[in-house]
Amino acid sequence: MKADVVVIGGGIIGTSIAYHLSKFGVDVALFERSYISSGSTGRCAGGIRQQWSSPMNVRLAMESVRMFEKFKEEVGYDIEYYSGGYLLLAYTDEEVDRFKKQVKMQREQGLDVYLLSPSEVKKQFSSLNIDRLKLSAYCPTDGHANPHLANFAYVEAAKKEGARIYDHTEVTGIVMNGDRITGVITDKMGKVETKIVVNAAGAKSRDIAKMVGKDLPVEPYRHQILVTEWLPHVLDPLIVDFYHNIYFRQTMHGSFIMGQSDPDEKPGVNLNARWQFLHEISHKITFLMPMMENVSVVRQWAGIYVMSPDAQPIIDELEGVSRMICATGYSGHGFMLAPITGKLVAEWVIYGNPRSMDISNLSLKRFEGGKRIEMERNVV
Amino acid sequence: MNECDILVVGGGPAGISAIRSAKLGADVVLIDDGLKLGGQLIKQTHKFFGSAEQFAGMRGVDIANKLVSELYESGTKVLPGATVLGIYEDGVVNYSKDNVVREIKPKRTIVATGAKEKNLLFENNDLPGVYGAGAVQTLVNVYGIKVGNEVLMIGAGNIGLIVTYQLMQAGIHVQAIIEATDHVGGYDVHARKVKRLGIPIIFKHSIKRVDGYNSVEEAIVVKLDDRFNPIPGTEKKFRVDTVCIAVGLSPLAELLWQAGCEMKYIPELGGYVPVRDEDMRTSREDIFVAGDVAGIEEATSAMLEGTIAGTEAARSLGYPVEDDELEKAKSYLNQLRAGPTGKKIRIGLEKLLGKRHSFETNATIHKPSKSTMPKNKRVPVVECFQEIPCNPCEASCPFDAITIGKDINARPSVDYSKCTGCGICALKCPGLAIFMITEDYSDSESLLEIPYEMLPIPRPGDIADGIDRDGNFVCEVKVLGVIKGKDKTNLVRIIIPKEYADRVRSVRVKEYKNDKIVCRCEDVTEKEIVEAIRRGYTSFDELKRLLRVGMGPCGGKNCREEVLKIIARETGKSVEELEVGTYRPPTKPTPFSAFKNE
Repeated sequence: MKADVVVIGGGIIGTSIAYHLSKFGVDVALFERSYISSGSTGRCAGGIRQQWSSPMNVRLAMESVRMFEKFKEEVGYDIEYYSGGYLLLAYTDEEVDRFKKQVKMQREQGLDVYLLSPSEVKKQFSSLNIDRLKLSAYCPTDGHANPHLANFAYVEAAKKEGARIYDHTEVTGIVMNGDRITGVITDKMGKVETKIVVNAAGAKSRDIAKMVGKDLPVEPYRHQILVTEWLPHVLDPLIVDFYHNIYFRQTMHGSFIMGQSDPDEKPGVNLNARWQFLHEISHKITFLMPMMENVSVVRQWAGIYVMSPDAQPIIDELEGVSRMICATGYSGHGFMLAPITGKLVAEWVIYGNPRSMDISNLSLKRFEGGKRIEMERNVV
Repeated sequence: MNECDILVVGGGPAGISAIRSAKLGADVVLIDDGLKLGGQLIKQTHKFFGSAEQFAGMRGVDIANKLVSELYESGTKVLPGATVLGIYEDGVVNYSKDNVVREIKPKRTIVATGAKEKNLLFENNDLPGVYGAGAVQTLVNVYGIKVGNEVLMIGAGNIGLIVTYQLMQAGIHVQAIIEATDHVGGYDVHARKVKRLGIPIIFKHSIKRVDGYNSVEEAIVVKLDDRFNPIPGTEKKFRVDTVCIAVGLSPLAELLWQAGCEMKYIPELGGYVPVRDEDMRTSREDIFVAGDVAGIEEATSAMLEGTIAGTEAARSLGYPVEDDELEKAKSYLNQLRAGPTGKKIRIGLEKLLGKRHSFETNATIHKPSKSTMPKNKRVPVVECFQEIPCNPCEASCPFDAITIGKDINARPSVDYSKCTGCGICALKCPGLAIFMITEDYSDSESLLEIPYEMLPIPRPGDIADGIDRDGNFVCEVKVLGVIKGKDKTNLVRIIIPKEYADRVRSVRVKEYKNDKIVCRCEDVTEKEIVEAIRRGYTSFDELKRLLRVGMGPCGGKNCREEVLKIIARETGKSVEELEVGTYRPPTKPTPFSAFKNE
């Protein structure tokens, strides 16, 4: 078997890349070791946010939002996209300062984002408790969508464009001739000849890079998440509260999805749910939204943030290997950046560089030689 | 003791609308003793009449959901599942919740406790199988419990007619509707809906007795003379297992009596009602009323009264009222009561408020003129012959082809020169009184489109029975297709010989293949699962992400094995070879409050 490009990973990043490549007419084969959306995508909360602390992330997300807005007509599937905004809550003076600076920077990037006082928050989102709230930042064009449906949509659309998608098929090795890739080895289909590999393997992307003797500076971290029973629609924006360490949103289905970070979490692929999480988040959610008191938790699980050193994605071609392009290290916001990633990586494969945007500061070089890195701070 | 500005007693349409006071700034607590907030609306599966600017055209249960989410958004403190036990002289109200009695001291109390069903005296009326219409609605529409197989409905008011229709939708057969007077008390369009289903309305009759060993097995009905006395020797027997009583409501006013509010007996308003002013304030200055407890009417007027009571209660505490919501509510309320069907209410209010109400109807009767109806294009036939307060047809028409005018009691008229035949009005009409017709579909056939809310839904190619306005068979018809409305009103498109186009108004399907539900929490059918498997989604976790199968409150307890069996069948593998998918905590839905109690 042969393919012009082999994409490794059937999550949202890999399938978006496969879709965009196939739309350019490239012959692409995608390999997923389990089923589509079995990794981080299938565990993700589905937020789509442009309010980042790094200008690069803001620009990337803004491009992505434009693509989400047109997803239904362009890709052809309804993914429950809802432009309900993101509301970021500040509880400390430090946060207030940071929000003010960030909003200024984000507005300079062209983003429609503004600050809301606690009373304005109450007026606009009356189900929220504003006790002790100092300030908030609101971007109405942020939103959310259903990650599973988006993942499947890319698969179906890519197949229509002629892409071959193989699930339950693992890439176990990469065949090299000198520094040139000549193919990949799969467990079910043997060798697949190709000259170009796209590494979109998420938590496993480091292992894939190791197959060509390279290392990627990414580490997987476990994050806890849960979903509630169905409720009537009561909340538009996705809420992020760094101080209490919680984010939550109401899905189009009506259930609430919420999660938090665990500062003591050790790196590693661990997908077990923690019981402590239920207690911790119950206090937070009922403080922020008192009406949740008697709402029931239906399911909890864990997912993976693949963290890069600066919590910004890595989109780059490996040096000294011909050719492996990596799209990884999304640090918990891969879903929202998937549409633009697909487009940029497809351009990279075809033209040798991404044409739509300058993403040179997402290269691996930024971590070399003890350079100062700009940390993305708005991760929850 | 807890205090608040305003306590609302009752979480039905009137009570929830009274939370407008919270929007004006008042600190409001709402207590409701139902199993679910929304009052009687939660069991109303039919579409409401009234003004499209209010909720007309929406189903009661959808209105309830909307109101309940507004309630939670309003900042009102809600105490569901709590019962107010008494209102005391010092204004203190006590209530029981979770078996603990607490007191609260509101500055104002809005009583919106609704109504109770009137009783009917006949022999053996305590035999199991005799139900009030409200209980039947709760069992069938809220819990989906089949109350019986053969029903006799007593009362042809709106409730009797609506519940009859809903029972038929639920697959429970109603043999007849028995009505003591010589006319239908409810809306004509409701009566027409049940007549099309072939259910007779028997006037000037009442129920005399039910018999049965352990429960109802038969009901004896007797003819009444002009003074409503039974005429001996006119008994008729019905073999039924259920008798449903729908003979009216009366205000549920115990709290008002306890509180010492002045009460007045006004039969037109359902019995004893509180004396109150136009601001809905009772003789006690701290107590307001709204909804059926203030006089039996219907849900739309209850909501408007709730808005008025909430606004006035807040105003009386000094909260400023700056918008025109109050004036709007009063004006809508007047419109609702202005038509012929509001006459009883107008008489009752005149007795109560001691002055003449200026509710004169200005309804111009538009007669749909058949002569102007074009034969070669798709147009609506509007069979709305009674002036009722309702205007969704007018409001829904994108081309202004339907006119009702300022008085929403007026009947609609169609300007066929503007009509494009889109059919939106037929899908919207709460009375299912608009039919689409293309008279010259071919030389010998017409195309008729019938609003239809029954199951089974006919399928293209079916041969069905064409039924006339009284439920009689006319001819066989061919089903061309079905336009599925978003809110479950469908248009069944049938081809019919021209000579019957003016007679057929319903269809009856001869055979039907049922959907098999695999995931009951999320309503996923076997067909959907099979289709997804054939598209290549062959593991439980994939199907879960794609279709939500197993994502509901039961966590897949009920469907996982079924799904695995379907996958096995479709893929030719054995169940043991399949990935069973992940099991995640909690095993049972558990509220956040429980996790806080470490």
